[in-house]
Amino acid sequence: MTATTYAVTGMTCEHCVRAVTEELTRLGGVTEVTVELVGGGQSAVRVTSDEPLSADTVSSALEEAGDYRLIAADQH
Amino acid sequence: MRQGNSLVSTVTGDQPSATDATRSVELTIGGMTCASCAARIEKKLNRLAGVTATVNFAMEKARVTVPAGVTPRDLVKVVEQAGYTAAVPATREPDPAAGLAAGPGEQAGEAASLWQRLLVSAVLTVPVLVLAFVPVLQFRGYQWLLLVLATPVWAWGAWPFHKAAWANARHGAATMDTLISVGTSAAYLWSVYALFFGSAGAPGARSGFALLARDATAHSTYLDVAAGVTVLVLAGRYLEARARRQSGAALAALLSMGARDVAVLRDGAEVRVPVGQLAVGDRFVVRPGEKIAADGVVEAGYSAVDASMLTGEPVPVEVTVGDPVTGATVNASGRLVVRATRVGSDTQLAQMARLVEDAQNGKAAAQRLADRVSGVFVPVVIGIAVVTLITWLLLGEPVVAAFTAAVAVLIIACPCALGLATPTALLVGTGRGAQLGILIKGPEVLESTRKIDTVVLDKTGTVTAGRMSLAAVVPAPGQDTGELLTLVGAVEDASEHPIGAAIAAGAVDRLGGGLPAVTGFVSHAGLGVSGAADGHAVAAGRQAWLEGEWAQQVPAVLAARALEAEAAGQTTVYAGWDGQVRGLLVVSDTVKPTSAEAIAELRRMRLRPVLLTGDNARAAAAVAGQVGIDEVIAGVLPAGKAEAIRQLQAAGRVVAMVGDGVNDAAALAQADLGLAMGTGTDIAIEASDLTLVRGDLRTVPEAVMLARRTLRTIEGNLFWAFAYNVAALPLAALGFLNPLISAAAMAFSSVFVVSNSLRLRTFRPRH
Repeated sequence: MTATTYAVTGMTCEHCVRAVTEELTRLGGVTEVTVELVGGGQSAVRVTSDEPLSADTVSSALEEAGDYRLIAADQH
Repeated sequence: MRQGNSLVSTVTGDQPSATDATRSVELTIGGMTCASCAARIEKKLNRLAGVTATVNFAMEKARVTVPAGVTPRDLVKVVEQAGYTAAVPATREPDPAAGLAAGPGEQAGEAASLWQRLLVSAVLTVPVLVLAFVPVLQFRGYQWLLLVLATPVWAWGAWPFHKAAWANARHGAATMDTLISVGTSAAYLWSVYALFFGSAGAPGARSGFALLARDATAHSTYLDVAAGVTVLVLAGRYLEARARRQSGAALAALLSMGARDVAVLRDGAEVRVPVGQLAVGDRFVVRPGEKIAADGVVEAGYSAVDASMLTGEPVPVEVTVGDPVTGATVNASGRLVVRATRVGSDTQLAQMARLVEDAQNGKAAAQRLADRVSGVFVPVVIGIAVVTLITWLLLGEPVVAAFTAAVAVLIIACPCALGLATPTALLVGTGRGAQLGILIKGPEVLESTRKIDTVVLDKTGTVTAGRMSLAAVVPAPGQDTGELLTLVGAVEDASEHPIGAAIAAGAVDRLGGGLPAVTGFVSHAGLGVSGAADGHAVAAGRQAWLEGEWAQQVPAVLAARALEAEAAGQTTVYAGWDGQVRGLLVVSDTVKPTSAEAIAELRRMRLRPVLLTGDNARAAAAVAGQVGIDEVIAGVLPAGKAEAIRQLQAAGRVVAMVGDGVNDAAALAQADLGLAMGTGTDIAIEASDLTLVRGDLRTVPEAVMLARRTLRTIEGNLFWAFAYNVAALPLAALGFLNPLISAAAMAFSSVFVVSNSLRLRTFRPRH
């Protein structure tokens, strides 16, 4: 079990939150996704998963969800 | 296809240029709240094999190129899976400009559909309310009539809420729609249950004014709640839909500015063709009074070009062979032959259209306050209902009683005044604003006024009058000012040039009387004017012209004063007669008399004024000094204004922009709050959030104050809309809810919300 908080830009509203949550939840081993929306700035996306996810995996999931970009990851 | 007279091309059904294998489909997209939604839909559509899609957020449209095997139905399905709605428009637009106008039309369609639902529901609901509240009228079996009347209201009238609630539920989200849908459904379904399986359906039953619901489990009906809430919320939604901004309008207004056709020179002869057929390198003729069809370079002729609609600058620019001209500007005086250098979507006008579109796309729609509150409220209420149910069961109460209490929680939780909270305040606020000359476009505007800390003001036409006027008269040593004004005024009065007109008007003003007649008036293009008045041969114009053509020397005092004036961005005209230069006239755009006061007021409201202009720094500083602004951004190109706003925003400021010109449109859309002068261009007005009808800068602080007051009223309304119902929640959970309490909560909160909104009518600006 591991939890990582990602800084993601490009999110502006609840729709974005839904899109990002949907795509990230679809990744293998992801059990929980919570988003703290900062409209127009860096939103904090916390992903809990069985195994650590690679930045590429997260990036491409964000790409899939829309025009969102992974800025930083903070594992804890 | 007809790329035609438009800058934005609209793909229509069977365009000949597309191959047989692919075709283009246009979809109307609903439910997008921000530009990211558009990007998401785009991505989902593009994932279909062979499909290329672009989604425009502001226009709520998707343009999709599809291969043979894909049907529009497939596309609609993909969009719906992503959580939005899509439809193929029934009719294809005949031309691109009409396509742009379709956006607002659809929004009008939404209002019309809500109106229909509202009307039918209201007609059905009135007897429901009358029967439910006047026991004398309750004939035997009246409750079955209630059911007949309320069923269509709940099922059809409230359908938009049920649909939206369902769409939200699939994403695990809750909005105001969820609350309305859950509340009305709980009330309706419970009533149906009570009628068929409880005691409420017994022919002799009357509306339950019994105080305890717990002993006679299912004898009360809440059909009046289901119907009443639906009608009130529909009414609110209808008002909002009518007030909603029409996002496509700015683009449509901008595009309609361009010339429609153009006189192209083909083999020496003029041929009139639609502007879309103009190609780079074509030479075309522009007569006086005509719009220039495309960006180009003057090949022959001499004229003054009025670019005020693009730049806002009041002085026409004089052009001759080799000078660049911009499409959509007006040729004011002479015949020109222009070689096109940029056409169609490459022109400056088209680029401005794109800037406006980009700025509008990038703006996240503020979530409705009522939705934000509901997002928290709904899960809490459902939680309470569940806890109520479980608690009652654990206490060993009968299952029916437990359900009664739980459903009662859901029924009472839906505040019917919620639907009225925003629209009534908005209606009264915008009405009061209209009286004061402030037109507010929609509720989302109000959200943005609260955090504003900076007000960027365009210079020309906003802080200044945007018109030339006589600023100073400097007679040569020994010259009488009155005579100077009389003679120059008389000659310039015959001129049609705006500078001449300004001098003549200024002269009449200062002399307080008429001007002598002029004979032999001649306008020397680009140099000056001459004529005879009161027996003197008078010439007025440029220094070099007077010195050369008229052999008149300019006194050093005047030359020094002229340099000073020109450095401050003012225009100077020398005048002379009888072999001598007799004086200097300074013409400039003047600061509106109320501007300084308005800026002082903005400072009192702790808003930082910033002057933004395309003029040079000296000219900007001169105006800024006069009105008391110390932060100046000067020398900005028309396309750079939106960027300037973006930079301020990036520095953490929340920016309101006040402007009037086409060149301000993108900046107005980019700003957190855009305010357009009502005296300005249509495009600026369409791109803005607020319009100041009088063009008086003092309405800027008034508008911000009114918007903030309205927003506070909305917040107050939301609080009270919830408060009465929240107060009744414990009663419901304890099983004490009865129709009397729910009706009282409905009535009190509605009356309170409406009267609270009406208080906005007393809003008075401070000065």
